Amino acid sequence: MIMRLTIGHLYPDLLNLYGDRGNIQCFRKRLEWRGIKAEVLPFLSGERIDFSKLDLVLLGGGSDREQELVCQYLKEIKTDFKEYVEDGGVVLAVCGGYQLLGSYYKTEKKLIEGLEILDIYTEWEPERLIRNIVLNSPLFETPVVGFENHGGRTYIGKHAPFGKVFFGLGNTGKSGYEGVVYKNVIATYLHGPLLPKNPHVCDYLLERALQRKYGKEATLTPLSDPLEHKANRYIVDRYSDKKYVLKETIKRYT
Amino acid sequence: MKLRSKLAVTCAKWTSTFIRKLNRGSGVTLPGYIARIIDPGILTTMSEMVREKTIVTMGTNGKTTTNSILYHALKAEGKKVIINRTGANMLNGIISAFVLATDRHGNLDADYACIEVDEIASVRVLPQLKPDCALLTNISRDQLDRFGEVDITFQKLKTAIRSVPSCKLVINCDDVLSYTLAAESKNPYLTYGISEQIFDDISRSEIRESIFCRSCGKKLEYEFFHYGQLGIYHCPHCGLKRPTPDFTATDVVLRGEVYSFRIQELQIDSTARTPYNIYNTLSAYTALQALEAPETHFKETIESFDYGNNRESIFTIHGARVQLHLAKNPIGFQQKISLVLKDPKPKDVIIQINDTYQDGEDVSWLWDVDFQYLADANTATITTNGTRRHDMGLRLKYEDIPCDSTTDLKATLKKLTRDGTKNLYVIVNYSGLYRTNRLLTELAAQTAQ
Repeated sequence: MIMRLTIGHLYPDLLNLYGDRGNIQCFRKRLEWRGIKAEVLPFLSGERIDFSKLDLVLLGGGSDREQELVCQYLKEIKTDFKEYVEDGGVVLAVCGGYQLLGSYYKTEKKLIEGLEILDIYTEWEPERLIRNIVLNSPLFETPVVGFENHGGRTYIGKHAPFGKVFFGLGNTGKSGYEGVVYKNVIATYLHGPLLPKNPHVCDYLLERALQRKYGKEATLTPLSDPLEHKANRYIVDRYSDKKYVLKETIKRYT
Repeated sequence: MKLRSKLAVTCAKWTSTFIRKLNRGSGVTLPGYIARIIDPGILTTMSEMVREKTIVTMGTNGKTTTNSILYHALKAEGKKVIINRTGANMLNGIISAFVLATDRHGNLDADYACIEVDEIASVRVLPQLKPDCALLTNISRDQLDRFGEVDITFQKLKTAIRSVPSCKLVINCDDVLSYTLAAESKNPYLTYGISEQIFDDISRSEIRESIFCRSCGKKLEYEFFHYGQLGIYHCPHCGLKRPTPDFTATDVVLRGEVYSFRIQELQIDSTARTPYNIYNTLSAYTALQALEAPETHFKETIESFDYGNNRESIFTIHGARVQLHLAKNPIGFQQKISLVLKDPKPKDVIIQINDTYQDGEDVSWLWDVDFQYLADANTATITTNGTRRHDMGLRLKYEDIPCDSTTDLKATLKKLTRDGTKNLYVIVNYSGLYRTNRLLTELAAQTAQ
C-alpha cells in the first residue's frame, strides 16, 4: 500500500518569514525519499480550510503587522482547528504561528486575539530576542538548533516546554525554556528554518501523522542524514565552546 | 569654522594616519568616532561646507551602485564630489568620509556630497547631515536578524525622512513600500519606475514582501511583478495604485550580454549585464533631476560605467573564466541565479555563505531563494564554502541538487580552474567578498605569468 500525507500550509501569503518554506520542503522531501506520497496544500488568507483532509499543519511566522491581518481569518477556523488538535492532529507552529496558538498577543499598540488552542499568552517588549539557539528537548537525544527573532515574550503556564535552553533566550528570555509541546503540536520560536537542520524533529512529526492515519504499525524507515547532522553539529559545537560564546557576547555588547 | 570643529578634524586625521601606519585596516570608522566625541555637531558643520547639494542614497538593494553612478555623473560635469566608501555607511563612517576629505586647514572643497546611508543609521544621520535630496532604491527583506522585520526598516526610514521635511525624495514607485513611505512622510518627491517587463520568471522569487495594502490591509493585485514586491500594482479595495512615474526607462533590449535602453531623450547603450542595473541608472538620472544638477555627460558616463564595483568581477585563471558575484539577500541572490541560467555553457559553481554580524547571523533567507532552478543550469559541480556551508548544502539537498563542500577555497579554485569546465561562478555573501576578490586577483596574477 502506498501511504500518503496531506500537509496544510496556512496563509503562506501572510506568514512566510524566516524560511518557513524550508519546513514544508523538508516534510515533503523526507516523505518522498521514503516512497510516501506528499501533497502540500497552501491555503491563502480567506480560503476555506477542511481540517478533516489534513494530516499535518504548518502555521508559520509573520511580522506583527501581518499577524494583525491574519487574525480576522483565524476567527473563522478557530473551532475546526481546535477540534483537529484535540483529535491528535499534527501541527508545527513557528514564531508568529506559535504566538497565535495562544489566547492573545499584546503588541506595542494592539491586542491580537489568538486561537486559544494553547493556554498561553504573549506580550511584546521593545528589545527583540535575536540570536542562534540550542535546545535540549526531552523528546530527542540530539539537540535542536535554530535561530530566534521575536519581540514577544510567551508565558506558557502549565504547558510542557519543547526544550530547555542550552544557548539562547527562549520563551521569555528568562525562563530557561523554549516552545510548547501539547498532544501532537510542537510550537516554537525556532526558525532557520527548523526542520532541515533537525531531521529528528521532522521525522517525529511525520511519524505521528502517519500513525494517526494508518495506525501504530506505520513507521518511517531511517534515512542517513550526514549533511543534516553536520549542520546541526556545527551550531551545537560552536555554542558548546565557552571561548566562542564569550567572544560572541563581548562582540554583541560592544 | 569653530575651534572645536578644527580640533575634531585634526584629531580624526591623526587617528586615520595612525591606524594606517599600524596597518590595522583602512581606518574608516574610528576617525569619525573621534571627531564626533570632540565635536558632536561636526557632521552638520561639515555638510554646510558643501557648496551646492548633498544627496543620500538608501534602500535594501543597489545603493552602492546607484551612489557610485551619481558620483561619476557629477564628476563628469566637472564638479568636486565627496563620496563615502563602501561599507562606511553608518554615522562614524560618514563623518570620516567628510573630515578626511578636508584640506590642511580643515576646509572642505566640494560642490556635492553623495552619501550612502544604512537604513538603521539613517535615523541619526539624516537630521545631522540635512541632505537636500534622498534617493530610496527599494525596501525589501534583508538581514532580518539586524532589522527585525521589514516593517521596522520601514518605520526607521520614515522617522529619518520626517526629520528633514524639506528634503526631496527620489522614489521607486514600482515598490509599494517605497511609494507608501513617500506618501506618508509628506516630503516632496519625484518618482521613477519601469512599465515594461524586463525581468525573467527566474529572477522573481515566490517569496514576496508586503503584497498587502498598507493603508487598508487588503491584498494588492498586480498586472505583473518585476521582482520581489516590485511591479505594477493596485489595491482593489481603497484605490491605491502605482502612479505613472515621473521618469522611466523604455525600449529595454538585451544585446549580447549587455542592455540598451532609453531614458527620456537619451538612448543609452550601457555596460549593464543585469536588469536591476537599469533601475540603478534610472534612479541616478532621476536624482540628478531632483538635484537640478547638470547631466549633459550622463550618456557617456553610463556607457563607460563599470557596474562591477568589485561586486561583480571577471578573472582569468588557468585559462578559465571566473566570475565573482556578491549576493547578500534573497532578492540579490535570485538575480544571480537568473544570471547563471542565462549562460547555457557547462559551468562550475562555488557558493560561499558566512554568518558574521555583517552578513547577518540568520541564514534562513537562503530558503527564500528559488535554488531549484540550478537543477537545470548545466552545472558540472556545485561546491559550498564558508561558515554556513552545510546550511547551503542542505538548501540544495532539499531540491535534490547534489553538491560538495570545501574548507580550502584556494585549493578548490585551483582544481576547478585547471580541471573543470573553464567557466566558474563564485557567489559569496558580504564578509567573504574582499578576501575572495583578493584570492582570485592573486591566482589570476600567478597564472598570467
